[in-house]
Amino acid sequence: MIELRNVSLAYPLPDDSMRSVLDGASVTVRKGEHVYLVGPSGSGKSSLLRLLYADARPSRGLVQVGEFRSDTLKDDEIPFLRRTLGIVFQDFQLLPDRSVMENVAFPLYVTGKSGAGVKRAVMAALVRVGLGHKPQRFPHELSGGEQQRVAIARAIVADPWILLADEPTGNLDPAVADEIVGLLLTLHRQGMTLVVATHDYRTVQKHPARTLALYRNKIVEIDPKTL
Amino acid sequence: MALPYVVREGLANVRRAPFAAFASTSAMVVSLVLIGVFVFLSLYLRTVSDYVGNRLGEVEVYLDPGLDSLSARALAARSATLPGVVNARFISEAEARAEFQQEFGESVEEGVLPTSIRLRLNPEYANPDSLQRLASRLQGYRGVDEVEYDEDFVGKVQRNLRLLNTAGLGIVLLVVSAALFLVANTIRLTVYARRLLIRTMKLVGATDRFIRRPFLVEGMVQGGIAGVVAALVLGALLAGVQTWSPTLFTNRLYNMLPLAIALVLGLFLGWIGTYIALRRFIRNVALH
Repeated sequence: MIELRNVSLAYPLPDDSMRSVLDGASVTVRKGEHVYLVGPSGSGKSSLLRLLYADARPSRGLVQVGEFRSDTLKDDEIPFLRRTLGIVFQDFQLLPDRSVMENVAFPLYVTGKSGAGVKRAVMAALVRVGLGHKPQRFPHELSGGEQQRVAIARAIVADPWILLADEPTGNLDPAVADEIVGLLLTLHRQGMTLVVATHDYRTVQKHPARTLALYRNKIVEIDPKTL
Repeated sequence: MALPYVVREGLANVRRAPFAAFASTSAMVVSLVLIGVFVFLSLYLRTVSDYVGNRLGEVEVYLDPGLDSLSARALAARSATLPGVVNARFISEAEARAEFQQEFGESVEEGVLPTSIRLRLNPEYANPDSLQRLASRLQGYRGVDEVEYDEDFVGKVQRNLRLLNTAGLGIVLLVVSAALFLVANTIRLTVYARRLLIRTMKLVGATDRFIRRPFLVEGMVQGGIAGVVAALVLGALLAGVQTWSPTLFTNRLYNMLPLAIALVLGLFLGWIGTYIALRRFIRNVALH
């Protein structure tokens, strides 16, 4: 379960003033749910996701992701929180000097796994995203859609219970974007909790699900048809 | 899998970014050669200091004219047991005359020069305090007429040698700090160039310690290579100096020590330089 209780988040600006992103926001996302997070650029969607993977800390209130609570989370426990999550970004963030296989194996290596088990898990993840035939390619040899599939394979290879996707189709043309959304929905149907931050309202209307909007520093539940 | 992930990564990083590796390794080579040269000079400065100390640590104990040769030799044997005395030699009147003639080129009449005991001291005792203590003790012995040593000169030379030694140590420390600063900054640049890698590692749940490890391995590989290159450069420099002056710098240990220090310090410099460069960097890399 994900829970935000009365969360405030503010950033210092260069002129020392503070820019408020969230102010007393609350929401609960249950395990296995599919949730869209919508709002215009700069409304704080990415910041909210950053709170979930502890790249930002709330200035007030409580953020709970699984068993990790922001009020008791120590800095050296953050990696262990992130190992329970899969994260996908708009710009893929693949390592350009490593093959598809090495990119996907990365989360397993950094958690100390090695050997044949890694290879098996990597191939299983690549097959799930439809790239089982390209393990030795390098990111620059792949199309944008394929690169995002590799990023998704990397996000799910360690079996996280939740997938956070920050504008996952933002860099893709509509046809490829549909394929990626289809892939995410398949993963959700297989039991993955899915939180997708997007301003692509076409996708939200085409595959409607619970939709949260960031409005005046609060999180409000809206009907996707009204978008 | 033959090698653990961190070692493979560390070695692969050197291969993936050869120019960055070359930059930090070169910075370390320059630093290690400088350190090696200073260690070398400091060691030989110690030789000079010991040599001068030996020369200064001479005390001449003039004996009463009436003292017979047997008692004089007994006194010499007794003086040899005093703390700090390396040896005590009885100088008969005949020997004193021979020395005088050698030194001034003129002979002197028999019975004019006094007999004496010449004490050679351990260099550590060649300082004004120890010499004064020794002199007053000798003065108390029966048969001793006068104890002579160059008090002012001893003090002056000792002060200068101490200053030189301190300055040598200070310069070595300064060079080590400068090397560390240079290496840490060069490594910081190479680490900065790989912030995407660090960001990805953080994203997928690597601990700071885990992220640091391949960089430390990489730093030590570069430090080791830098150590070997620096040792070769130092060896070549030494060979050059020895060709120019074969009688100087003949102490084998002193010649080998800077090379060994360069090798060991190379590994250490690579490790600590990387550690300093990464200390706050990993934490400050934002994920998005």
